[in-house]
This record gives sequence, C-alpha cells and structure tokens, in this order.
Amino acid sequence: MRIAVAYKWAPNPQDALVGSDGSVDWRHAKAGVSEYDPVAIALGRSLADASGAELVGLSVGGPDVASPMAKKSALARGLDRAVVVADASLQGLGATETALLLAALVEKIGDVDVVLTGDSSIDEGSRMVPTVLAGALGWPALTDVRSVSGTAGDLSVERNHRGGSQVLRLTGPAVLAAAVDAVVPGVPGVRDILAAGKKPVEEVALTALVRRELGSSVERVRIAGPEVRDRKRRMIEGSDAAVAAHEIVAALRADGVI
Amino acid sequence: MSATYILVAGDARIGNLVATAVGTSITAVVVGDRGVAEAVAASGVEKVVWLGDPGATPLEAFAGQVAALTAAARPDLVLAPSRPADLVLAGAVAARLSAPVYTMASAVRVADGAVEIDRSVFGGIARETLRIHGPVVVIGDGGEVGTDGGAPIEEVTGAPATTISVIETLPPEHAPVDLSKARRIVSTGRGLKDQGDLSITARLGEALDAELACSRPLAEGVGWFRRDRYVGVTGQKVTPDLYVAVGISGQLQHVVGARGARVIVVINSDEKCPYFGEADYCVVGDLYELVPALTAALTEAN
Ligand SMILES: Cc1cc2nc3c(=O)[nH]c(=O)nc-3n(C[C@H](O)[C@H](O)[C@H](O)COP(=O)(O)OP(=O)(O)OC[C@H]3O[C@@H](n4cnc5c(N)ncnc54)[C@H](O)[C@@H]3O)c2cc1C
Repeated sequence: MRIAVAYKWAPNPQDALVGSDGSVDWRHAKAGVSEYDPVAIALGRSLADASGAELVGLSVGGPDVASPMAKKSALARGLDRAVVVADASLQGLGATETALLLAALVEKIGDVDVVLTGDSSIDEGSRMVPTVLAGALGWPALTDVRSVSGTAGDLSVERNHRGGSQVLRLTGPAVLAAAVDAVVPGVPGVRDILAAGKKPVEEVALTALVRRELGSSVERVRIAGPEVRDRKRRMIEGSDAAVAAHEIVAALRADGVI
Repeated sequence: MSATYILVAGDARIGNLVATAVGTSITAVVVGDRGVAEAVAASGVEKVVWLGDPGATPLEAFAGQVAALTAAARPDLVLAPSRPADLVLAGAVAARLSAPVYTMASAVRVADGAVEIDRSVFGGIARETLRIHGPVVVIGDGGEVGTDGGAPIEEVTGAPATTISVIETLPPEHAPVDLSKARRIVSTGRGLKDQGDLSITARLGEALDAELACSRPLAEGVGWFRRDRYVGVTGQKVTPDLYVAVGISGQLQHVVGARGARVIVVINSDEKCPYFGEADYCVVGDLYELVPALTAALTEAN
C-alpha cells in the first residue's frame, strides 16, 4: 500500500504586516509545515507502520517548498520520502488550482491508495483542498477523520459526524482529511531531523505534470484592510484584582452591557 | 438570466444562500431524504433536483453524481453551505468545472456575466473584491430554512456506485449549542492551567448570566469543552453585547469569530498579547485573581 500526505509550507498570517490599504507583507512571517498537517502525517505514519505501507509527502507551492529547511521539517515528522513541485508561478495558489496540481502529482507517482490531508491550512484555511482533490481524482472524500486502520481495499475510518461519530468501511481509494485533534503529533527530535536529511526528495518540474488550468478568469478589483471595529483599548492594571474588578464593572455599566 | 446552483447535503438550512442568489435562476441539488428536498423546495428556489432517498449510503458518496449534473448545466455561480458533507459536494463540483472556490465571502453579486465577491483573506487580516468570469463556487453560511414557494422536485434516480459504507453511527451526546444569539459570553483559553479550574470561569459566567465558550484548543485539543462551544474562523461566529476572553492570546483565527461583539474585555497576564489590540478593556494580570474578583464585584453589584 502507498499512502500519500499532502502538506503545505505556509506562513502564519498573524505574523504578516497588513497596510491600511489591505496590502499584505509576508517578509517577516516565517513559513513552516502548516499547523494541522503534522496531524495528517502522524496519522499516516501509524497506518503505514501497521500495514507495511510507504508514506510519501506531497507538496506544491512556491520555490520555498523545495528549500532544505522545508524538506527537512516535513520529512522529520515521519514521511519516508517527499515529492514536491516548487515553482515561482505557484506562490499563493488558490484551493482549486492547488488541488488540481496535487491530483496530477498523485496520478504521476501512481499506486496511491489513500491521500491524507490536514483539516485546513494556516494561511488560506478554506478546508477545500481535500474535497476538490478527491473530486479531481474521482475518489470519495471524508473529512474530520479521527482514525484510520486496515489495508488498501479494506480500510476502517472513524470520523466526527454531526456532533457524534461514525465508523465507515472503505473498499477503494479515498482522500481523508484529519480532524485537528485526531492525534497529538510529537515534536521532531534531533534524531528525526538528522534522519530527515538522508531521506529522498524528488522535485517534479511543473512541465512534467498533466495540468488542468482553471476554467475561469479571476481579477482582483479591490483590496482593503480588515473590517475591524474601533475598540477603546483601555488598559486596566490588574495587580490589585479588587480595584481592577470594580473598574471593569463600572465601565461595563457605563457601556450598558450589564 | 444567470444561473445559480445551490448544493445541499442532508440539511435544508440554506436561507442565506437563496438570499445571496436572488435575481438569478436558482436550482437546488439535494442529497438527503425527501423531507430535506421538500423543505428546500419551499425555500424560494425555482427548481429542486433530488437524488433520491440515500438510504444508508453516506451523503458524500453522491458527490460524483452531483458534480456531473451540476457541471452539465454550466451554472455561473455555485453556492454551498459551510457544512462538512456540503463541502465534499462543492469540492467535487469545483473539480469538475475547474472552477475557483472561495470561502469567507461577505457579499456575492452577479452582474453582466460576471460574479463579484467581497471576501476576507488569510483568516481575516485583509479583504479583497474579486471579479470572476466563468463558473465559481462560493461557500457561505447556510443560515436558516427558507419559507417561500413550492418549487417542483425532479427526482434523479440511480444510487451511486460507491466504495464507502457506514458500519456504525453514534449520535451526539448533547443537543447542539447555538452561540450566535447569546447576549453575553465568557470565553476561556489556554491560560487556564487545569480542567478543575473551569469552575472559575463558570462562576463568572453565572454572575454575568452568560453562555460559556472557549478557544479551539480547549475543545479540539484537551476536550474540556464540546466542539460546538469554540469561537473562531472554524468555530462559532458570535455577536454578543459582551465578550469576555479569559486567558486567550488573541490569535487571528480566534479573534475573527467574535469581531461582531459590541464590547470586548480581555483578561491576560501578558501585556503584549495580541488580543489587547482588538479589545475595549485590556485587563493585565493573573486570571486566577482577576476572574474571582470580577465575579465577586458583579455579585456584590447585583
Ligand atoms: C486553520 C486554523 C484554524 C483555526 N481556527 C480556530 C478557531 O476557529 N478558533 C480558535 O480559537 N482557534 C483557532 N485556531 C487556533 C489558533 O490559531 C490558536 O492556536 C488558538 O486560538 C490559541 O488558543 P488560546 O488563545 O486559548 O491559547 P494560547 O495562544 O496558548 O494563549 C493562552 C494565553 O493565556 C495567557 N495566560 C497564561 N496564563 C495566564 C494567567 N494566569 N492569567 C491570564 N492570562 C494567562 C497567555 O498570556 C496567553 O496569551 C485555528 C488555527 C488554524 C491554523
């Protein structure tokens, strides 16, 4: 069995500088393996260990995706190898284009039985990449997955379902998006990072993929800063808790909310 | 007239989406039992295409059929509510049409053969307006069940050939919580050290007659709260008169869920915590002292 994990190398928008005109400066935002993707990698590692499968990481994006730092960070989390497409034209791609490219990559490496993904990415956070990817492959998608076990052609999947949970059986390939708390991924240690340096990474050229283009043209006609209310931002010193508490109560009274 | 397709998986609450698409010709594609198709037909849509009784088949298994029939109609706009199974249908449609897909849209306009979308980007740090020529899929808040008209229901039969089957379904242990209408909310974050300490914020909640909420790690992480009680970009969007955030740092993904609150109080020991940038009252100090003191002051004042 071959298990693929799609991961994203992305910065945290919290660290970006946003101009009042809505321009976003990412220079100070350090990229990393996107917050929830290590959960998918950890889920994949357990399934691969239990079934003797190979665990392949897949990523598409800008040139950074192929940087030594990005490769090591992803591989240190337990992948056996990685296959990446890194191209300047792929920086900041939307969900559909990302998913269509990942589908082309899954088809190129071949023999993939399951693709795992994180819940959503830290920068876009659309939750749509796994579902579009499944659509492009013609495979079913299940999201909010808590656990996976079994072997190719006979997998048991447990997922969160309408406030409860559900166990399903899968007899064919599928895309599974991990619930954010499916497992608590460990922090890679020095040994993992050293081992990662020796694991193979294949860079696939964009031109080597059978790529489907977007069927629509998208034009950005306006950008703006976030829609944020003006807040009072009044500092209340809390070293004397009783004094602070009375100050808060008086303020909330004056605002008419209590 | 422009054509809109609304995708529905098992839950007829699509009132907001119908309102978004007013002025276009709206077809709803419904996966789920007949009751859902009937409720959608009475929601102000022009036509319902119903994929028949799913029986025990998971709704996601219909994604391929939904994609094929939606793509064949070449709609200008495809809308879907932001619920798990609906996202799977929407993903399949986007793939089939090679259409871009957008979430976090605040407005959608269909005019002159183009679709214009106002949306926030990167979890809410900025906004953009996009003009799209060609099909586009937009995910939005479904809203409530609509109440307008009785559209014809066209049944498309033929169960999907599927490789997924349900072995067991465990129902929720509690009724779902809707925080969107709460007037006051006390929200707890990772600043709380121990599950036993939750009584501290619970008492503040009582004194304020407030609903209790939390940041995501307290629900999907340590599991101290149920999943439907966390606020944020993936959690609940709330608009109370008062939002008291206790031991929550103010990461963007949390903050955006409560931006609609009238007054925000943030209690945090770190004077540099990001949430102070978007709060009305920034209370710097130890929650273990401040929250009981605030509870006492409120009780005293009542
Ligand atoms: C795609 C994506 C989607 C997400 N969606 C959501 C979402 O919908 N909702 C959500 O909440 N999060 C979401 N997150 C997670 C989010 O990024 C943050 O990790 C999370 O909100 C942090 O929770 P927190 O503030 O409770 O914890 P922390 O960031 O750890 O903050 C704890 C705070 O407590 C303070 N503190 C500690 N001790 C004390 C004390 N004794 N007294 C007072 N203060 C104290 C600290 O100073 C700190 O500021 C998402 C993340 C991603 C990547």
